[in-house]
Amino acid sequence: MAKRRRSGLKGSFGEPRLPVARSYPPQASRRRMVVLGAAVAAVVVAAVAWDRLAGGSELISGGPLSSSHAVFAGDCGHCHDARSRSASDRQCAVCHEKAGDGLGIHTFAAHYLYRSDDFRRVVPSEHETPCSGCHGEHRGRDAAITRVDSGACRACHFADFGAGHPEFDFAAEAIPDSGALRFPHTHHLREVMKREQLADPERACLYCHQATADGRNFQPLDFDRHCDACHLDAATATPGLPLAGATDGPGVLDLEQLAADGGPGLRWVYFSNPAELRRRGSLVVKAPVHHRDPWVLENLRRLRRRLYPDAGLADLLRVSADAPPHAVRELYLEAVATLEEQAEGLRGRPEPEVQQQLAAIRQLVAEARRRIEQPLAPLDETSFLLALDRRDPALPAAEAAAIERLGGELTEPCRRCHLVRDLTIVRVETDQRQLRRAEFDHRAHVVQRRCLDCHDVIPMRQFLESGEPVPAELDRSEIQNLPTIATCRECHEPRQAADRCVTCHRFHPDRGQRAELLPYTREAP
Amino acid sequence: MSVARQARRRWLGPLGFAAGATAAGAALAVNLTIADFVPGNSWSVGYGVAATALLLLAAGYGARRRMMRTASRWRGGSASGWLALHLWGGGLFLVLVLMHSGFRLPSGQVTGWLWVLSWWTVLSGLVGRLLQRWIPRLLASGLSTEVLYERIPELVADLRERAARAVDGAHESVVALWERRLADELAAPRRRALYFVDITGGAARRLKPFRYLQRLLAEDDRERLAELERLYRAKLEIDAQYTLQSALRWWLYLHVPTSIVLLALLAVHLYAVWAY
Repeated sequence: MAKRRRSGLKGSFGEPRLPVARSYPPQASRRRMVVLGAAVAAVVVAAVAWDRLAGGSELISGGPLSSSHAVFAGDCGHCHDARSRSASDRQCAVCHEKAGDGLGIHTFAAHYLYRSDDFRRVVPSEHETPCSGCHGEHRGRDAAITRVDSGACRACHFADFGAGHPEFDFAAEAIPDSGALRFPHTHHLREVMKREQLADPERACLYCHQATADGRNFQPLDFDRHCDACHLDAATATPGLPLAGATDGPGVLDLEQLAADGGPGLRWVYFSNPAELRRRGSLVVKAPVHHRDPWVLENLRRLRRRLYPDAGLADLLRVSADAPPHAVRELYLEAVATLEEQAEGLRGRPEPEVQQQLAAIRQLVAEARRRIEQPLAPLDETSFLLALDRRDPALPAAEAAAIERLGGELTEPCRRCHLVRDLTIVRVETDQRQLRRAEFDHRAHVVQRRCLDCHDVIPMRQFLESGEPVPAELDRSEIQNLPTIATCRECHEPRQAADRCVTCHRFHPDRGQRAELLPYTREAP
Repeated sequence: MSVARQARRRWLGPLGFAAGATAAGAALAVNLTIADFVPGNSWSVGYGVAATALLLLAAGYGARRRMMRTASRWRGGSASGWLALHLWGGGLFLVLVLMHSGFRLPSGQVTGWLWVLSWWTVLSGLVGRLLQRWIPRLLASGLSTEVLYERIPELVADLRERAARAVDGAHESVVALWERRLADELAAPRRRALYFVDITGGAARRLKPFRYLQRLLAEDDRERLAELERLYRAKLEIDAQYTLQSALRWWLYLHVPTSIVLLALLAVHLYAVWAY
């Protein structure tokens, strides 16, 4: 014991008799690694702080800017507000709402009005998010910042496409298609298949529904392209029509009478074939009848003027003013074109006063066209409609009936396909797009589904196979032969085909379709 | 605490992780069903917030270890509870980080380093956990001596001193063995990777010269040689302790400093998200 005390040992342990410690051995401090970590962390934070103070952005940036904004890399102030440091809408607007444009298409107001034409919707909402809320940046050069998550839309709209998306208007409100044409689809499909020797009805669909260059939609319907091959051949003729002056009642004017009567827009008279008008006593027959036949339309216009002397702007239209709200500009442009054509007819007149008037007219027409083409010009179709409501009260009923009867006979070849109302051929909606608030890409769909898989409201397949005639109530032009939203949902659902809002809808108005921007640029009433 | 209660507590960590991972998986499934799976949207921000909370809780374990007195005074949970939270919460943190980043390496510098350090910290923690489970068993399986890591230099010095005394006045062949081989071996504790696969450190091969020499020596020198062999064998065992206990200590250098840097980068990231 005494020896152990002298040596300071408390004893030994293990087979090699290792000395037991004299005191509890202090554990090695682990502070070093904490200090090491803290030092590296301090360097990192200092580097970031230095980078920020020096105006850099590389370190703190969430990642490279998208390709569209790549030129602004390193210039944070180009997008980020100096005070709030966030990418402010005002900075976005500098480039995206070009000065002087005046449309403000990236504003929420524009979004509320786009294709709705409802100014009551323009109420600032607490849900309005900044541009960066939807178009997240700093996600790499190849990031698609316009591919917006539907969550951004759900703040105001329904839950998602699968549940809560309203039915399409035409289906929900049973809105019929334009009935301006008498057009049974199945009959035409059969005729095209027979004529073109097509075995596949889908090919027959595409015979008339010809795709636009981008394949998204179809070209407007056109008589010359789609109908001329079968309709209005050389044998098409009007019935015998009483010639004006030859009978007591109303009559039509032949070419000589029209030339003698004069008036604007009659240059075509001098280029028309007189042999197409055959006299049969006091009657005249027009054969053949052409599409948009100027003789028929001019006589129809003259008959209409007798019924509606104050037709106003409607008199400048070739057909009725039944245009959907998005196509009102077309009415104005057609009216201006008529005025230009009529003014052109006066160019050959040598009288100085006529030439003076012509110069003034042309100036006015040019000004009118310029105003109409202004995207902010307020336009409505009422200028074309109201005048037709006022019949000449002085016109005896019997004479009015005779005029209407003559108008009916004059347009007899037209009425085989067209509707005629108020001595006016009802305008055919040549633009076949029905979805006004959404975009539909036919090319993307037609590779996977057949036309009649979706367009099955008119039972064309069934009647094509059976060969039976289709009852008129099942196949009329008024029937919207379009699928409902349930058909879309067969494929567009989570984990299948895309079902995000921006798959079909545009949040911002399309700059490329300026005519459609008009509704939201009008002044609030 | 009863053994049964301890056993029950041992399952709390894995169960918590399983529950958290299931919840994260369910959130991901709902996310994929009704929204996009892209960094930056509200779902992604949610994953990021959850990951941040877990990282801070996991870091709380390290803080608690350095504030034992305060922790025991505040009764802020047992050390084993905090360890379980550190381990399983750290694992769940990585899952949430991956969901937050859309399972892609972020393109930003800070965010990219955050992503890499998250992987590094969790994987180094996993390596440390495996070492902590494996090395004590390895040490207990083949060594007869257990020493404190901090005493190893002192014990090695003691062995060297005793070995030097043992060869003093011995046969020249014993002295030659000491001078040529053992003096250097016993100079200081030595780490050998071999101990990870052979806990004896190849003792049989190393002790062969002793077997050979023993037959040639007289009785007195044979005892000196036997003492020398015993001391050398003890040194080999201490080297094994030194090597394996070093691994238990040095993996922390892979884990702790990077964790601190990770926390600093997280602070920078939160600032960037808040400010921009």
